[in-house]
Amino acid sequence: MRFLTFVTKNLLRRPFRSVLTMMGIALAVGAMVALVGISNGFVESFIQLYQGRGVDLVVVRAGVSERLTSALEESLGDKIRALPGVRDVAGIMTDVVSFPDLNLYGVPILGWKPGTFLLDNLKFVSGRPLTAQDGRVVMLGSVLAKNMGKQVGDKVDVFEDEPFEVVGIFESLNMVENGSMIVSLAELQRLIDRRGRVNLFNVVVTDRADEGAVDRVRQEIEALAPGMSAMTSESFVTSDMQIQAARAMTWITSIVALVIGSVGVLNTMVMSVFERTQEIGILRAIGWRKSRVMRMILVEAVLLSLAGALVGILGALAITTSLSRLPSFSIIIARGIAPAVIGQGILIALILGLIGGAYPAIYAALLQPTKAIRHE
Amino acid sequence: MNDASANGAILSTKGLTKNYPDGNVAALTDVNLSIPRGQYAAIVGPSGCGKSTLLNLLGALDEPTAGSVYFAGRSFAELGGMDQFRAQKLGFVFQSFYLLPILTARENVQIPMFEGTLSAAARAKRAAELLELVGMSHRAGHLPKQLSVGERQRVAIARALANNPELLLADEPTGNLDSKTAQEICGLFDQLHREQGMTIVLVTHDQNVANRAERIIAMRDGRVADDRLNKDGAR
Ligand SMILES: Nc1ncnc2c1ncn2[C@@H]1O[C@H](COP(=O)(O)OP(=O)(O)OP(=O)(O)O)[C@@H](O)[C@H]1O
Ligand SMILES: [Mg+2]
Repeated sequence: MRFLTFVTKNLLRRPFRSVLTMMGIALAVGAMVALVGISNGFVESFIQLYQGRGVDLVVVRAGVSERLTSALEESLGDKIRALPGVRDVAGIMTDVVSFPDLNLYGVPILGWKPGTFLLDNLKFVSGRPLTAQDGRVVMLGSVLAKNMGKQVGDKVDVFEDEPFEVVGIFESLNMVENGSMIVSLAELQRLIDRRGRVNLFNVVVTDRADEGAVDRVRQEIEALAPGMSAMTSESFVTSDMQIQAARAMTWITSIVALVIGSVGVLNTMVMSVFERTQEIGILRAIGWRKSRVMRMILVEAVLLSLAGALVGILGALAITTSLSRLPSFSIIIARGIAPAVIGQGILIALILGLIGGAYPAIYAALLQPTKAIRHE
Repeated sequence: MNDASANGAILSTKGLTKNYPDGNVAALTDVNLSIPRGQYAAIVGPSGCGKSTLLNLLGALDEPTAGSVYFAGRSFAELGGMDQFRAQKLGFVFQSFYLLPILTARENVQIPMFEGTLSAAARAKRAAELLELVGMSHRAGHLPKQLSVGERQRVAIARALANNPELLLADEPTGNLDSKTAQEICGLFDQLHREQGMTIVLVTHDQNVANRAERIIAMRDGRVADDRLNKDGAR
């Protein structure tokens, strides 16, 4: 018989209790893996989007924490373009619109200049990109088009009584863009009454492999006009207030779940040690050292948590996969959970088991053998 | 070192005293004993006279209030601690068998072996040999509740032998058995003593059981009242 077999048999003595404890861990680890996985996937997708487009720097108004309210003069774009080392610039405006009758809220609407390099990375499922001759036309992300049930040639009421004709349906590298609509920059500025303004500039640097060159361009842009902040696209994404808030929430929720999970293991193992007091005394009497008793309890706790983690991770995978098929979630959950996050889940379960098992293990090891044996 | 090791004692005590704090019971007072290697000794005496207390101290299951126990002339501390001593040198048999209910006979016998260096396969093989020795091969796959009390004690004895101990301690091993089964278990102890030269110290209430030992130590009120060799014993 292997030690692990013996330990497993101990857990199977109270199958119901073991399963309940496991479920607690499964919920905790599952929630953590799902939340962290989704939020990481979200951030990752944005970083990939910028990298896919070759955007090296993002310029926003300095000190503005909410990006939608960042406002810069559109004309600064030409000044940035004129800087040595800058290959291309795209000023963009973003807002959100809702379609209550379609049950769609907070749909991003982007204002892009016709002909911008940003369009190069969109794959058109049907129709065509915006052109300079277009007026009130809109391009829909593939997910949004599906959710709205719109095709090329249909009309969309972007704001009340402002019908825009759908000219193209596109697929982007980024799931949020797939759930967005794009109109020309001028139209969006007119619609939200912010003429001559953009939220931010996307900047492509000529010598992008050279970090020093990127940094020089960054400093030159910031020197152009007061109140401008240029940052690498990666730090732009990760420093986003909403993303940071979402990440903080994710971790707080996960930590609460994990604490509850480890208290569950602690509770189960304490009960189990109390019930087996006499048996632990006997094990000591027939030759087990303190360390062996401790290992038995710790391995039981870790086994419970790992089994729970496995169930939780499978559950998280199942839930994220099925959620990503639902229209309202498909723009936030695009891909599966990264293996690294699954690894983190397993590691955390291991630590949970050790934490939950530590006190009962030490308590059990320190039982005085004759007293333990007399215990009924 | 103490003088007892000079005459080949496997186990000796010096001024061994135990007071239980709760109730302030003087369970054992100044016990000086020396058990030569290979001896078969029985401890007898009325209930509450301190027999189990003495055996637990000899088996490093409890710490004395005063005095010491020596194994081959060395204190437990010199041997690497009480845990080390119990894991390597000692086998313990109880009145109530104390087999683990969820494990089969062959699994129960393997439990102490986790403290040794045997592989899983070697553990299984050794367990089979030990069950053979105690005549329990045919019931190796049974759970304790499926065994008769006598069979359970045989399995418990096999378990006590798991780590090749130099010394076997038994606290009323026949206390829960009818007289016929008790005689069979005694036969097993006799055999271990005769064939393997095992040192055995057992506590008993049963005069018939005590009479089979080479030496009878009688206790009263926590002291050794009488200690004599029994020339009829261990045949
Ligand atoms: N853990 C303990 N705490 C307090 N008192 C104890 C404890 N263990 C034993 N005693 C007391 O110490 C004395 C000796 O007990 P012990 O169990 O050694 O006797 P015994 O000779 O084995 O008796 P029996 O034949 O009934 O088993 C008794 O008075 C008993 O009540
Ligand atoms: Mg007793």
